[in-house]
Amino acid sequence: MSEINSIEKEALSEKESAQAHGKCMLNRRKFLMYSGSTAAAASTISITLFAGTAQAETRQARVQGYPRKKIANLSQLKDHQPVSFNYPDDGKNTQAMIVKMGGVQAGGGVGAKRDVVAFSYMCTHQGGPLHNTYKHVGDQRVMGQCPLHLSTYDLRRHGIIVSGQAYQSLPQVLLEVEGDDVYAVGIMGLLFGRENNLSA
Amino acid sequence: MTIDYYKPEDHAPLPPKNADVLTTACDHCIVACGYKVYRWPVGSKNGGKKASENAFGIDFPSNMLQSWVAPTQHSVVIHKGKKHNVVVLPDKDTNFVNTNGDSSIRGGLLAQKCYSPDRETRDRLKTPLVRINGKLQPVSWDFAIDVAAQVGRYIIDTFGEASYGVKTYSYQYIENTYAITKFALRHVNTPNFTFHDTPANVTSTPGFRDAGFDNFGPSYDDWASADTLMICGTDPYETKTVLFTQHIMPAIAKGMKVIALNPRETAGIAYINKMGGLQLDVYPGSDTLVLGAISRIIMQNGWEDKDWIKTWVNNKWESNSGFGQGTRNTPWQWRTTWGKFQTKGYEDYKKWNLKQKEYDPEYAAKKAGIDVKKLYKAAEWLAKPVNGKRPKTSIGIEKGFYWSNNTGNTNAISTLATICGTGGRPGQVVGRFGGHQRGGQGGGGYPRNKSAQKVPGRRRQALDTDRWLYSGHTCMAHVVGTTWIQSMAGSQAMAAKFEELVVKNPNQVRSNNKQDVIDTLKKRADSGGMVVIDQDIYLRDPIGAKFADIIFPAATWGEEDFMRANGERRLRLYQKFNDAPGEAKPDWEIISMLARKMGYDGFDWKNSNDVAEEASRFSRNSRKAFHMVKVAAHIEGKTLHQKMREFGTDGIQGPVMYNYKTGKLYGTKRLHDTTVGEKQFAMMGLEHGPEKANRYGKKMTHFNSQTGKVNIQKHPWGLFSDLWEWLSPRKDELWASNGRVNEVWQSGFDDVEHRPYITQRWPGNWVEINPADAKKRGIESGDIVMMYTDRLPVFTTTLLGVHGNDFQFSELMKNGYIKLKKASVSAIAIVTPTTKKGVMYGNFLDMKQPNNSLTVRVPDNISGNYNYKMGVAKVKKIGESEFKKDFRGMSFAPRNIT
Repeated sequence: MSEINSIEKEALSEKESAQAHGKCMLNRRKFLMYSGSTAAAASTISITLFAGTAQAETRQARVQGYPRKKIANLSQLKDHQPVSFNYPDDGKNTQAMIVKMGGVQAGGGVGAKRDVVAFSYMCTHQGGPLHNTYKHVGDQRVMGQCPLHLSTYDLRRHGIIVSGQAYQSLPQVLLEVEGDDVYAVGIMGLLFGRENNLSA
Repeated sequence: MTIDYYKPEDHAPLPPKNADVLTTACDHCIVACGYKVYRWPVGSKNGGKKASENAFGIDFPSNMLQSWVAPTQHSVVIHKGKKHNVVVLPDKDTNFVNTNGDSSIRGGLLAQKCYSPDRETRDRLKTPLVRINGKLQPVSWDFAIDVAAQVGRYIIDTFGEASYGVKTYSYQYIENTYAITKFALRHVNTPNFTFHDTPANVTSTPGFRDAGFDNFGPSYDDWASADTLMICGTDPYETKTVLFTQHIMPAIAKGMKVIALNPRETAGIAYINKMGGLQLDVYPGSDTLVLGAISRIIMQNGWEDKDWIKTWVNNKWESNSGFGQGTRNTPWQWRTTWGKFQTKGYEDYKKWNLKQKEYDPEYAAKKAGIDVKKLYKAAEWLAKPVNGKRPKTSIGIEKGFYWSNNTGNTNAISTLATICGTGGRPGQVVGRFGGHQRGGQGGGGYPRNKSAQKVPGRRRQALDTDRWLYSGHTCMAHVVGTTWIQSMAGSQAMAAKFEELVVKNPNQVRSNNKQDVIDTLKKRADSGGMVVIDQDIYLRDPIGAKFADIIFPAATWGEEDFMRANGERRLRLYQKFNDAPGEAKPDWEIISMLARKMGYDGFDWKNSNDVAEEASRFSRNSRKAFHMVKVAAHIEGKTLHQKMREFGTDGIQGPVMYNYKTGKLYGTKRLHDTTVGEKQFAMMGLEHGPEKANRYGKKMTHFNSQTGKVNIQKHPWGLFSDLWEWLSPRKDELWASNGRVNEVWQSGFDDVEHRPYITQRWPGNWVEINPADAKKRGIESGDIVMMYTDRLPVFTTTLLGVHGNDFQFSELMKNGYIKLKKASVSAIAIVTPTTKKGVMYGNFLDMKQPNNSLTVRVPDNISGNYNYKMGVAKVKKIGESEFKKDFRGMSFAPRNIT
């Protein structure tokens, strides 16, 4: 069982308190924000990835560098209506969206039902715009097809490619919740067109 | 299940301005997009964000469609013994194929393929290995070659050349395939030889061959210039991605109609449907019925292309002519079934078609499980003139189609094409879309007359190497770059046979002494057992890991200069840009060492260019003839490889002609081009016919038949119907068909296990099941299911056929040559409407759970190919996978969401 899964279970069992959210996201942030041994500048701490699995390993995790930016109020998000924002800065290739996916739980999801997620709007194949391509079919939630070359991403599964040509999963914006406020705190994956998410 | 999860990075280095830039092409699917490799030493400065600071000459962040480096496109490799960064990106400057610098997910990740001691590719084979005491032990090249050569020599001398089996890839570069076939066919001269995808060395598309169609005649822009494009048995978006995204897709947007013959609705078919296309979602193996019915509708309405038929279809006399050899000596007559396919021309075919009850549209539609109206609509789109103008129709096929009813389907589609006037004109082309790239170059002829297999009629048939092995006649299995077992039908039964002949034989090597090793392996052969040599880039299981006695580590893409062509015959040089791991050597070199040690001459090449230069003259009749490139190169004082390098990613399309007056080389846009005129001949310097070394064969302007015109063929359903009816699902069985997916296509040999990004998407074996079928069985997405059958027919014996029907399935069954075996495969269920009700679609080549275990192991009785798409199985839930609730791998979202 992966750590993510156990965190989710743990969090859900702790009655959705703000404290539990915070704990969950802190853990998640540790989990997601590791970087390779080549990362130099950011301060790092040791964390255990994939605890309890065959792939368990200790890595240096980057825990700072990304801004903490408020992007939405939980109570104002409506099911299946994505809201745009820019992250990590307001420069090029930073358009992203946050969406509440109608009560369907997702990896990295926040909110009572873990159904609020945020992703980059730029296809990681060749930068095609994914605006207006959010779709919900049964309990599946996707972005795509990209108008350029038809790539589609699974929003329940950290932006994994469903079908298509992209070179990496759709970058997922990591979220934290404090009361009713939703904060973007990091990005998993490289934004199209950038050589470093934080280089603007 | 242990999975290397993908760990997304949030940065990637840009190549600096002074990075080395080398051209290559993708190693994977047939399309072979052009790529650039940027290389710079680790420790030197990376490129910067300003246009003046990076190798792309653009500012970062870059814009849509501009160059960008994803973290998965960078790797650290060893070049000349030192660590270097490489970034492998689609070439934005190329003029052909992947115009706009487009790429697929497979090519996009090429950097991940490179050998890197710090990454998943670290487990490449690095030294020769010999199995001693049951374990593969590193040995020197001399040791391994000595053992292989002495044992091989002994086996050939003692048991005859047919006891030395060679099973090899057909595509992994011209230099290698030339060396391998020169060794196996010209020197060992064994009929126990075949390629990775077929049990016998036979044509993949018998109907095309007999009609006179080359498999790869068209150019990529041809596929985008029809009014109606019919696509049979493939989704080009998934399997020739850039041909679809850069050529077919824009044409659809501009109004090209598409008919897709395919039981599945994947992303590309969904796009086609969304744009108003027509999907003929037939049951596996029923295509011939559907095509025969469409042909009938066209003929009954008088929509056939009368002018084309008059000019380009063989009449009675032409059908019978054989260039002085007589009708009995043409390839299609060798197929034993005299009179079964041959017609006296169009009218004769029409008469035959109208007499067959199974080509009644109602009957055909019912058997195929589709609405009969679709057949009428298809006929209209393909052939009905609009305002007096015929639609231009092109037809492309691939494995879902020709691996279902190999002979019948390819006969029927050739005939339908011909009736529509398809073939030999821009926008009216017929061909295969293709699977792997075209890197085969024969270095010797196949010794058919040595084959122990004979079909009724006159000719011997290429040996079914699986049945030959199964019968215990193969003493040496020399395997080059293929899994053999998983990739052939009835895999589990085959694996059991390997185990019996190799592992369970009492003669197992127990000593490090070379002579002891040699003596033991000779004794193995003497006692009726089998010795296995495996050349590969990774240790494959089971052929290498469990069965091989000797393993040779091979160098591959990017580790040697190689030549190869794509699906429009475009030849390119794939340049070396990094060191092969350890002592790994390219296959041509391994073969040359072995051949010399076995006493064969003519293997004294110094480098891969030497091999290519020797091979060139044998390419002259081939669709990718490159001999004239060498001629031009030598006139200019260059080597063949040097000249090929100049063509960069644009390459040049074979056959290549050389104008001696102007010193220019000319590629061939399309084969069978009936529109080529005097001007073009003059441009190529061929106005007075082929000059000097130039060869201008019949296929350039005519078809590959005895007359240069098309043979219009019958496609008797009865040759296949007994198997099809017997196989059709009974009670709670479902069709168990299979195939591959976009993310893993012609790349399964390295990317599933060595690219975490792909592994997380497809972490285990899988099967698609229609929601209606799943519900009935209580199956949900993410469940682990077992597909199982006790009705797997296995054809076990090598036969000499005497009577006309000896190889017909029902006769083989009656005479006891077919054994019914059990097989079962487990997989993660994906419940999705993308697959037709009643049809399961499994993963074709899972290494642990090969779906081919469920595939009928009875080769097509005319062609000798397997019909891999045909199988039936029951299915039941046996558990739940971790992916049912965990979000970190797999995806169960349907692939047809548009």
